[in-house]
Amino acid sequence: MNTLKLLSAFLKVNIQMSLAYRADTIVNILLNLMWLGWELLSLGIIFNNTDTIGGWDFGELIGLLGVFRLVHTLMIALIWPNTEKFNQSIRDGSMDYTLLQPINSMFLVTFSRITVWRAWDLILAAILIVVGLNMSGDTTTAVDILTFILLTISGAIVIYSLWIVLIALTFWFTKFDNNVTILQALLDAGRYPVTVYPVWLRILVTFVIPIAVATTVPLQGLRGDLTPIRVLMFVGIGVVSFLIASQVWKRGLKQYSGASS
Amino acid sequence: MLKIFQRLWQVNWAEQWQYRANLIMYLLYWLVSPIIYLAVWTSIAQSKGSVSGLTANDFTTYYMTLLIVDQITSNIVIHTFAYKVQDGSLSGELVRPIHPMLTNALVNNIAFKILTIMGFVPIWTVLYFLFKPEFSSVTVTGILLAIPAMLLGFLVGFLLSAAITSLAFWTTRVYSIHEFYYALSLLFSGQFVPLTLMPKLIQDIAQFLPFQLLLYFPIQLILGKLSSAQITQGYVIGIIWLIVAITVFNWVWRNGVKRYSAVGA
Repeated sequence: MNTLKLLSAFLKVNIQMSLAYRADTIVNILLNLMWLGWELLSLGIIFNNTDTIGGWDFGELIGLLGVFRLVHTLMIALIWPNTEKFNQSIRDGSMDYTLLQPINSMFLVTFSRITVWRAWDLILAAILIVVGLNMSGDTTTAVDILTFILLTISGAIVIYSLWIVLIALTFWFTKFDNNVTILQALLDAGRYPVTVYPVWLRILVTFVIPIAVATTVPLQGLRGDLTPIRVLMFVGIGVVSFLIASQVWKRGLKQYSGASS
Repeated sequence: MLKIFQRLWQVNWAEQWQYRANLIMYLLYWLVSPIIYLAVWTSIAQSKGSVSGLTANDFTTYYMTLLIVDQITSNIVIHTFAYKVQDGSLSGELVRPIHPMLTNALVNNIAFKILTIMGFVPIWTVLYFLFKPEFSSVTVTGILLAIPAMLLGFLVGFLLSAAITSLAFWTTRVYSIHEFYYALSLLFSGQFVPLTLMPKLIQDIAQFLPFQLLLYFPIQLILGKLSSAQITQGYVIGIIWLIVAITVFNWVWRNGVKRYSAVGA
C-alpha cells in the first residue's frame, strides 16, 4: 500500500516536470510518430520482397513490433532516466540520502524518474499487437492471451532484473557509467524474431542479454509455439532472475562507501 | 597553419584517448543494426534463393562493406559541438584566430575516427569469419575509385551536420532536428537495405540527395556494381552537394555567430 502511494507521488512529480516542458513533449511525440512510420515502412519493404521471415508473416511482425515497443518504452521511460540519476548520485555522493529513506532502496532508485508522456507509447503498442494479430489471422484462444500476458510480464521482469544487476555493478566499479549501453545496443535485435538470426547472435540475445525473452518469446506464446513446460520455464526464469538481482543489489549496497567520505 | 593542426591533433587525440573504454560501447552500439539487417536479409535470400536478383552473399558483402564505409564517412559533430553553444564554452574558442568548426571540431572527429577504427578492425575480422562473405567482385580499380568518393561523402556529411549543429545558435531543440535528419538518412542512404530494393519513388529521390554519398555510392563502387555512367553521375552529384554544403554551412555559421551571446555574459 505504501509502495502504491509512493508510486503515485512519483508519477505526480514527474507529470509536473514534463508539463514544464510542453513544447518539448509535443516535439518528442511527433518524432516518436515519425519513427513508428519508419518502422512500418521498413517492415513493408521487407514484406514487399518476401511472405515470411523466420516463419513469421507480416501481421505477426507488426505484433512483434508492438511487443518490442513495450520493452523499448520500459527502456526509455524508466531505465534511461533513472540510470542517469543513479550514476550521478554515485559520483556526487547523493546516494547517501537515498539510502537514508525508510523504504526499499532498489525501488526508490528504479522508479523515481518516469518519462510520463511515454505512456501513450503503451497504447500504441497495444494497438499494434491487436491489429497485427488480426492481420495474420491466427486463431487465438483465451489461454493463448493469458500466456502472452504472463510471458510479457516475466520478460519485462527479466530485463528489469538485468538492469538492476548492471547498475549494481557500479557499486564495485565506480567508473562504470556506461552500465546500460549494452542493453540499449542489443535492444534493436528485439525487432525481428530470433529465429532469423545466426546461432551465435541467437544465443547472445536469448541467454547473455536476454532481449528475446521479452520480445520473441511472448509472441511465440501467443502463437501457441510453446509447450506448457516451456511457458513455466520462462516464467520461472523471470522469478529467479528477480531474486538474483535483489541479492546482487544487497551485496552491492554493502560495497557502497559514499563519494565524500 | 600546419603547426596549428599538429597541436590540435595532439590535444584532441589525448582527449579521445581518455574515453577509450566508452569507445568499445560506442562501437557495439553502432555495429548492432547493420548486423541485424544483414541477418534478416540473408535469411530471406537463403529461403527464396534470391531477392530481386540479390543472393545471400550479395547482402553479406553489402553490409560488411557498409560497416567499413560508415566508419569512414560518418561524424559525431552534433555530440561534440552543440553543447558548447548551449553552455557557453564556445566563447573561448571563438576568440582564437582559427575556425572552431573547421579546425578543432574537424580534427576532433578525425581523432575519434582513427581511434574507433583501431577497435573496429579486430571486430570486423571476427565478423568476417562468422559470416564468411565472398568479395569476388571487388577490384583494385573499384577501391581506388571509392577512396575519393568516401572522402567526398565524409566532407559533405560533416558540413551538413555542422550546419545543423550550428542551428544551436537559434534553438535548444537542435537534437530533435538532428534526429529528423538522421531518419531521412536511414531512408535514403542505403543503411537499411541496398537502395535497389527500396520503392521506385524513394530510389528516384535518393539518387539526387546527399545521403547516398555517405554509404550507398561508395559501397557500390567498392563492390564494382556501377556502370561508368553511374559513377560519373555519382561524382557530379557529390561535387554539387559539396558546393551546396559549403555554402549552406558558411551562411548558417556566419549568421549564427552573430546571434551568439554567451551564457553568463
